[in-house]
Amino acid sequence: MREGKKKMARDDGVLGNRSLTRFDFCIIGSGAGGATVAHVLTQAGKNVLVLEAGLNAYPDLDDPRALHYPVHSNDEIKYAVRNFITQVPDLEPRTYRTSPTATATVEPDVNTLPKAVGGAFQHADCKTPRYSEVDFQLVTKMNEALAAHPGLAVPGFGADAGSANFADWPFAYADLEPFYVEAEQLYGVQGDTSNPFASPRSQPYPMPPGQRMYLAVLLSQGALATSFLGGPLHPHAYPAAITSQFYGDGALRRPPCVDCGLCSGFGCPNNAKGSPAVTTLRRALLTGRCQLRYEAQVVRLVNDGGHVSAVTYVDRDGNLQTAAADAFVLAASPIESARLCLLSTTPSGGALGNSSDMVGRNLMFHLQTNVNGFSPRRVHGERGRAVTTGISDFRGVEPGGAAIRVIDVGSGPQVFMGGICEMGGSQGLPITEDGEVYAIDLPPALGARRGTALKNALRDMALGQHLFGLEMQAEDAPQLGNRVELDPRVRDVFGQPVPMITYASHEYELSARRFYLPYLTQVLSNAGATHVFTAPAPCSVLGGPPTSRHVMGTLRMGTDSTTSVVDAGGRFHDVDNLYAADGSVFVTSGGWNPTLTIFAVALKIAHGIVG
Amino acid sequence: MRKLKLPRYARIPADLLPPAIRPAALPPPAPAAPGVVLLLGRREFLKAMGVLAAAAMLPLTHVERAWAAARGRFFTRHERATLRALVDRVIPPDPPPGTDPGAADLGAADYIEGLLTALDRHRPLVFAGGPFSNRNPFPDNTDGTPSRHRPHDFFRRFLPLTRLQGLYWRAQLFGSAAVPDLAALDAELGGPLVGLRDVYRQGLALVDATARQRTGMDFVDLPPATQDTIFDAVDAAAPRDPRRGTTFIDVLIMHTLEGCFGAPEYGGNRRTRGWRMIGLEGDSQPLGYSIYSLATQSYHDRPDGQHPMAGPNPDEVAAPIPLSADGQRIQDNIATFSDAVSSC
Repeated sequence: MREGKKKMARDDGVLGNRSLTRFDFCIIGSGAGGATVAHVLTQAGKNVLVLEAGLNAYPDLDDPRALHYPVHSNDEIKYAVRNFITQVPDLEPRTYRTSPTATATVEPDVNTLPKAVGGAFQHADCKTPRYSEVDFQLVTKMNEALAAHPGLAVPGFGADAGSANFADWPFAYADLEPFYVEAEQLYGVQGDTSNPFASPRSQPYPMPPGQRMYLAVLLSQGALATSFLGGPLHPHAYPAAITSQFYGDGALRRPPCVDCGLCSGFGCPNNAKGSPAVTTLRRALLTGRCQLRYEAQVVRLVNDGGHVSAVTYVDRDGNLQTAAADAFVLAASPIESARLCLLSTTPSGGALGNSSDMVGRNLMFHLQTNVNGFSPRRVHGERGRAVTTGISDFRGVEPGGAAIRVIDVGSGPQVFMGGICEMGGSQGLPITEDGEVYAIDLPPALGARRGTALKNALRDMALGQHLFGLEMQAEDAPQLGNRVELDPRVRDVFGQPVPMITYASHEYELSARRFYLPYLTQVLSNAGATHVFTAPAPCSVLGGPPTSRHVMGTLRMGTDSTTSVVDAGGRFHDVDNLYAADGSVFVTSGGWNPTLTIFAVALKIAHGIVG
Repeated sequence: MRKLKLPRYARIPADLLPPAIRPAALPPPAPAAPGVVLLLGRREFLKAMGVLAAAAMLPLTHVERAWAAARGRFFTRHERATLRALVDRVIPPDPPPGTDPGAADLGAADYIEGLLTALDRHRPLVFAGGPFSNRNPFPDNTDGTPSRHRPHDFFRRFLPLTRLQGLYWRAQLFGSAAVPDLAALDAELGGPLVGLRDVYRQGLALVDATARQRTGMDFVDLPPATQDTIFDAVDAAAPRDPRRGTTFIDVLIMHTLEGCFGAPEYGGNRRTRGWRMIGLEGDSQPLGYSIYSLATQSYHDRPDGQHPMAGPNPDEVAAPIPLSADGQRIQDNIATFSDAVSSC
């Protein structure tokens, strides 16, 4: 990689081949979905225009000689305080409510994602488990379980099916497996076979796991000492698109992760994280067939109802521009992709692609359950990559993931589809975690607002050095009422109606949370934690809007054009040259971090497009 | 996995809180220093506001402000001295024989002035550059040890702002009235945004007005114990900004923390003594804590033995180091508060 006095060459808002003027495809969004599609299309000889609404933290990303360092850094002020790459609510608010009869209010954070070249994944800790076989055929498998176990009742299924909107995906795990392999190689995934609940694999992980964090060692001991269904839990290395050795050749070579600590919520300074920018997007730019314009906010898809001819966007100087292409790919993340369809009315007056009335519906976020405790010894979470180890026993599948796990703990057969659990802690954030919690978040009588009490607690890093815990990423049910609409009142800095999000949790995920919570607590206690405590559930009275950063659904994929928005190939049922290729096409949310599956589904869609 | 998720107490309507942690049920915060707590009544508070309005009219202050602006500064000498005294009430210097500095000597006031003048510079002082400072060397991957080769300090090369970032930071510093593109959003977001420059100018004047009201002296001339009393009086009475959801004291405390524990390139955390005080190294790139060795095809910890990845720190192998009484109390209370709010 290139190091030295970096010349921020010409920053004209464009990366890639500036001389291209005719485009086969225009992709809206350069994140997990858009970058992946851009890579496949350019490899197949197509000319591609990528429009990215956010800024570029990767100067000279299109330099064919070498991969440069980004301007990302270990800087709490830049990321956690001043939100360097996160969408700013003061300019682009979102509104939120928990029921369709309530009035939505502006909230500072409704699963707001980073907005930047390479998308939100660069800001994540890049965890990449695969989905299970049951995830793609959940209705079929659940109905089999219900038939085989008289007395079994599952919220959202069987007699209660009307309360949710579950469906099978239009393809099976086996159909996606080759694309999982391709995604793991493109983005560089580390992992091993220590998770008995992981899906079957045709190829080994490209890289072995890196070092475990100390807090993960402690929590693994706690997990092994916790009995669940007659045996211990199974802590395992957490698959992640983070290098654990030099990875890639020549102009794509990335160094090993150094466990610098500021991982989740921060951009990676040395390109160890497999940001789409430094992997697929860079590959696309190096073909000479890709042009990327950033700070380009698309506001309309110009259409006649069945065909899109162009997009209009606001450029980095605030001017309205138009871009034409033969076909278009939506990959702006589910809330924004759906919003663009809603903004782009057809000549007959409805939203684009919405003959099914499904655009914006089935929004899914995962239900995160946080159980924390304090370790008597400092766990130094500032060394590591946020999460190195997990537990998948609470996903609710049999080992291998091909069958739903029906359990009987004395009150008849039951099914609880929870999710993978991350072992984590603080990353050593004295301003936005320790200091803010002591001085601002806690009631003044319980906190330490200032003075010697604040200084002493900070010197102890009573929170940051001692907090460790589990976070379960539980599947949430798709529901027709959980949806994105256009807010009737509020407009953003571009003058466009903002997304209005209606979201409430379903008993499907709430019952799983209640069931697994005592086991999560036990793991903490068995790991030697003091003060084991639970964080409020999102959408509860004090939990606030969801902040899981796992956003799925809104443009459901399916074979029936009356119940889904796009077909199994990602193409809109209603529009002959428009595709969706991000998390919006997800049919169910699974109980796993979604990004690897976004990569794989985008690969499947893109390979389908080029044939 | 992200940060600990706690709702902000001040933003929760009291009737939603479980009875045990409603404001009325909790004891008032212990005074930080011995002394009589002098709370301003509402009438006195308004009187104090009148005093500060008069103070702002003084022509001498105008001259001083113009002089400060010409030098790329914001505060007058008196304001800066008042601010230094205030941040020292947030993070006070250790009484002897302690050695840790207070927030003023750590540079918190300079940090705040840097923020308020961030847009006066060719490269706005908002986002430090990357990828590395020069505080750590590169790893030597041939054998998995630190090398002698250090990067330039890229943090010093502050980043240009995008159009939207420019709008946002202009509104932050000067108020949304100064940014026509954002005025339409004010009604939805809780009213006009008061710029941080005005927040500080008015907040510092309020502190002095309160001090003069109670003692007849300026804040900066009072002994620390009396300053604590005045600080708490202002904290108890300061109005909550409907747009920011914070008081002047909230803003001051957060900025003081940023000035003590943020990267030194922002103007505070002088000689990284803030980080050292709390046992953090700050930015660790490009060395990090796991060094890959091509020779062994595996990771090594740093050779100093002080930064193990997968085990306890060397000083806690035998037994944990006990927390201070203040640290212990905070842990107890975080658990209590979190459990109470998660049951709602």
